[in-house]
Amino acid sequence: MPAQPPVSKVGSGPPQGSGPKEVESKGPGSVVSLPNKMGDAEAGKKIFTQKCAQCHTVEKGGKHKTGPNLWGLFGRKTGQAPGFLYTDANKNKGVVWGEDTLMEYLENPKKYIPGTKMVFAGLKKKSERKDLIQYLKQATSS
Amino acid sequence: MPLPQAIETQDDQRRATMSPWSGQQMQRTPFLLLLLVALAQGVTPSPKACVTLPSPGGSTVSCFSPARFPAPLPADTVHLAVEFSTLTQLPASALRGATGLRELHLASNRLRELPATLLLPVPRLEVLDLTHNSLTQLPPGLFRASAALRVLVLKANRLEALQASWLLGLKGLEHLDLSSNSLQTLPPGLLASLGALRTLDLGDNQLETLPPDLLRGPRRLERLHLEENRLQVLGERLLAQQPALRYLFLGDNRLTTVAAGAFHNLKELDMLDLSNNLLSSVPRGLWESLGMPSRDMGDGFDISGNPWVCDQNLDDLLRWLVANKHRMFSQNDTRCAGPDALRGRMLLEVSGSP
Repeated sequence: MPAQPPVSKVGSGPPQGSGPKEVESKGPGSVVSLPNKMGDAEAGKKIFTQKCAQCHTVEKGGKHKTGPNLWGLFGRKTGQAPGFLYTDANKNKGVVWGEDTLMEYLENPKKYIPGTKMVFAGLKKKSERKDLIQYLKQATSS
Repeated sequence: MPLPQAIETQDDQRRATMSPWSGQQMQRTPFLLLLLVALAQGVTPSPKACVTLPSPGGSTVSCFSPARFPAPLPADTVHLAVEFSTLTQLPASALRGATGLRELHLASNRLRELPATLLLPVPRLEVLDLTHNSLTQLPPGLFRASAALRVLVLKANRLEALQASWLLGLKGLEHLDLSSNSLQTLPPGLLASLGALRTLDLGDNQLETLPPDLLRGPRRLERLHLEENRLQVLGERLLAQQPALRYLFLGDNRLTTVAAGAFHNLKELDMLDLSNNLLSSVPRGLWESLGMPSRDMGDGFDISGNPWVCDQNLDDLLRWLVANKHRMFSQNDTRCAGPDALRGRMLLEVSGSP
């Protein structure tokens, strides 16, 4: 029986045959690997599955779980994913999510947003945060 | 200079203390006099550390770096956070009166112990976060009224050993996080009473071996985190207890040996991480149930950072890689350590499928 072609949707599955030298155009199921300085989105995808996917989805129209769906995150103020019940702490933080704010937040979410109900200690390693943020940049926008 | 008119009579004085902030009084009463009166009545400014806000279903009390545990708690408290303090313990009565409490966030304090009766007043508690404290043990019976608890996080404490009896009562527990402690071994039957458990995180400990019956108890475990430990061998029995497992993290251990039947029957596995171990080879048949052609591993796999010896013993793995490379993380870091002729070559390249 012939193998089924892999089912791909945005945000699922690691990149198709990618390595640091290959830069593919972004399409469903693929993630662009950029040079290390900017964070490795492929590594970030793995981090997301390991540490975030239990509570969050990324794709457009993805469901809210314990945490909000993250589509449209970049450039949006805290606590604004439509249809999710945030704490006041999150809604009132008042920053705009981008690379810098996410770098700070993801190191220690409870310090950044005291009173948050997000139960996640954070990512101590700067490189991991960079990778994750690169992945999120791609996976949460078109 | 005569005293302000406002404090002349007893009635006026009472009015001044009962409503010190009313506009008229503010105009007529110098601030200093007001403060003196307030202090005389025993009213002190509330510490900024705690904020109480209304939220759906009740009150949210949020304390950042408080000097002491907030008391008394509003009777309708549903969400309580006391974090980033230097508190080393809690009074047994800490949660009395907050019978509707749903979430208790106690991260980043210095708690060394918990009173055995702490959670008895809060049978509806669903989330307990004790991340980053100094707990070395839990008192027996702590969770005897905690059948509603879904999430228990003990990450980053000082647990060196566990006792299965500590977890009695957690019939509804879905998520148990024991990561970043100093666990060296686990007792048999640890999860026996945790029928509802979906996620177990034992990452970043010092585990060298696991009791083969470790995973007996949960009806349907989905996620198992064992990364960053010191495991050397993955036997056949461990995962046989949980055929519906979906995510398995074994990265950053010292695995040299994986039994041929270790992944047998894992027909739901969507992610497997074996990166950064000491694997030079794996037995034939290991991959039978995993990935294509049986079933696509939707969230991928990672076998990078191992000293693979790319000889004929690795044929089975290399064939499997060809069929599953679209799900392979860290392809560039998955290389042969031997034989000499192939050292440094990518496994994908050697498999005939660059």
